Amino acid sequence: MARVLITDDAAFMRMQLKDIVTKLGHEVVGEAENGLIAIEQAKELQPDLITMDITMPEMNGVDATREIRKALPAAKIIMCSAMGQQSMVVDAIQAGANDFIVKPFNMDRIKESLSKVLS
Amino acid sequence: MNTDQYIEVFLDESREHLQAINDNLLKLEKQPTEIEIVQEIFRSAHTLKGMSATMGFEDIASLTHQMENVLDKIRHYELTVTTEVIDLTFAAVEALEVMVQSISEGNNGKKDVTKLVSQLKQVETGKPSEEEASVGQPPATELLEIDEYQATIISQAVNNGYQAFQITVKLTEDCMLKGPRAYMVFSNLEPLGEAIKTVPDVDEIEEGNFDQSFSFLFISTESSKLIQETIEKVSEIEKVEIAGFSMKEQSVEIPKETVQSTEDKKQTTKEKPKQSKTIRVNIERIDHLMNLFEEVIIDRSRLEDLSKKYIDQELNETVENMTRVTEDMQGLLLAMRMVPIDQVFNRFPRMVRDLSKDLHKKISLEIIGSDTELDRTVIDEIGDPLVHLIRNSLDHGIETPEKRLQAGKAEEGKITLKAYHSGNHVFIDIVDDGAGINREKVEEKAIENGLISVEHSKQLSDEEVYHLIFASGFSTADQISDISGRGVGLDVVKNKIESLGGSIVVSSEPGKGSMFSIQLPLTLSILSTLLVKVQQETFAIPLSSIIETVALSPQDIKYVHGQKVMDFRGHIVPLVSLNKVYGVSDQDDSSHSVVIIQKGDKRSGLLVDSFIGQREVVLKSLGNYLKNIFAISGATILGNGEVCLIIDPNALVK
Repeated sequence: MARVLITDDAAFMRMQLKDIVTKLGHEVVGEAENGLIAIEQAKELQPDLITMDITMPEMNGVDATREIRKALPAAKIIMCSAMGQQSMVVDAIQAGANDFIVKPFNMDRIKESLSKVLS
Repeated sequence: MNTDQYIEVFLDESREHLQAINDNLLKLEKQPTEIEIVQEIFRSAHTLKGMSATMGFEDIASLTHQMENVLDKIRHYELTVTTEVIDLTFAAVEALEVMVQSISEGNNGKKDVTKLVSQLKQVETGKPSEEEASVGQPPATELLEIDEYQATIISQAVNNGYQAFQITVKLTEDCMLKGPRAYMVFSNLEPLGEAIKTVPDVDEIEEGNFDQSFSFLFISTESSKLIQETIEKVSEIEKVEIAGFSMKEQSVEIPKETVQSTEDKKQTTKEKPKQSKTIRVNIERIDHLMNLFEEVIIDRSRLEDLSKKYIDQELNETVENMTRVTEDMQGLLLAMRMVPIDQVFNRFPRMVRDLSKDLHKKISLEIIGSDTELDRTVIDEIGDPLVHLIRNSLDHGIETPEKRLQAGKAEEGKITLKAYHSGNHVFIDIVDDGAGINREKVEEKAIENGLISVEHSKQLSDEEVYHLIFASGFSTADQISDISGRGVGLDVVKNKIESLGGSIVVSSEPGKGSMFSIQLPLTLSILSTLLVKVQQETFAIPLSSIIETVALSPQDIKYVHGQKVMDFRGHIVPLVSLNKVYGVSDQDDSSHSVVIIQKGDKRSGLLVDSFIGQREVVLKSLGNYLKNIFAISGATILGNGEVCLIIDPNALVK
């Protein structure tokens, strides 16, 4: 069981992710609606795993990943991307993300990603 | 999604890509080992697929998808380029062209493509019966091709205790962002060793331009097990295949291949089109601008008249300056309407290829001057006549390979298509090195069809005899073939070219070949004319048809069968009264000024009251209300505001 921080600017997406992650037996310890809040929360909550949306106001997911990587080198970060964001995803991986999943979400895919990243 | 607003861009781009595929397929046919060309075709097909799927044209999408699969196998060296593959791809492109055309005509672009799709599938998978057997076979036994440089790296690495692996990674079918996924594979492997060569190229892989799997050569000191595990840590990986890579079998061929590929590369860089900054403008806007500009020209002429009337220094200077500026503008505007004739020519290589196949002849096509520019209107019209002439050359001109060899010529016939500017005209020559025109046959046929008499035929020069092939209802082909020779042919071509204000001549040398030469005006919308008066009406006669003007005395007019004629330098020329043709007035003709006009080798004299002078006029169509008026090609507005009809001289020569 991992402690998870969910980052997405859309409440709907956070809700959906929270549902899936909880069903998979993990604990959602916090939610953030943009990159800045995610950094703050990550430092405070020290989660094992962070899901990170790419396009967000205030600070996008790629920049937030870069910052979080500095503060929490061991935390696993999974990017949540939409189709057509190839280059952003590559940027995020260079910034230190461990995996990515593509919207719309699919439970099996998230399960695979979580188990690979956490193994 | 409402996609209507994108349809024009979609159509434009689709046509460009289809053309690119066509061109590249022709190249590929000549250099079947050049994988770079396959990449190009693949990219075009891929873009087409994406665009058509977005626009909801599913038939296009499914056909391009299957094309993509076949091409993908070729570029991964899993399939070789055969005539069958090329023919099938051509057929697919043809179907795509039909669908795109149908969309541009406002239809839904639907077409039954299942047959083509299944044929392509068959090619892709080999024979259908083998399909299942081949699926299970790992492709790892097939070695990646490497060049000399890569071979050196590998041999050095092996000497230093590294091992070379050939790795094929297959992603899961539902993997959406293939590029980043592949990137993760490489980034995870980075600490373990180095990737030497990838198929497809790294850029392609990172763009996600591969079907489901990609392969690469990897040198590493680690065990294959660790490498496999490292790759499998990445999500969405279905299968990883790792095999040891040895390059012994390949080393023999390597030098030859490198030489060839560098040569080919040189060629491709040379052929790369020059890029210039352009914007797409709808042709309608330019036409509209042209129309507005023509209004300005009309006002300019009025101003010129006015400044002559009220003699005023300042007004005069302004008008003169305006005249200069508008002349420059006119030049620019006309240049804007000019498009390279390439637009018409680019379909011919394909056509020649297909037809020569059908005819079992070997024919090469050379195109010279495809950047020659012509007015848009002319470009739109000239395509069909050219198609006809080229077909004619292919069918009747070039002989069969056997006949050519017998005649001591090269087996492969040659057709040259050449466009060039000269003066105010553009010339297009279609030259073939075939059998030439057989004078006896033409004469025989012409006599048979009652075009000339036996005695008359003896007096004709070769050129005159050859020209008979343009007469209506004429065909000399021994065998009526599918391609040409249905008796309606060259006369239609000739009429079309003449309606564009051009002319066509033919020359030929028996045994050596023949040449059709077309002369076309640069532009149709601005004409040099002679203004003439008939009673109170002014008419404009295009200078291009006028031979000369003559003043007759009444006794020079003679009558043949009640028809007025005159003696013009020893030739009897029929006289046509414009007053009567256009019904200007009931009064009898008293006019004795004659404009001699010519169409081909026939002449007529137009009776007018007086000549006014030469004038550049802007040709305006009479619009839809007044279509097909006899012997009038349009109208123009003169400086004094008077509307003046422009005569179509071709209609007045019989």
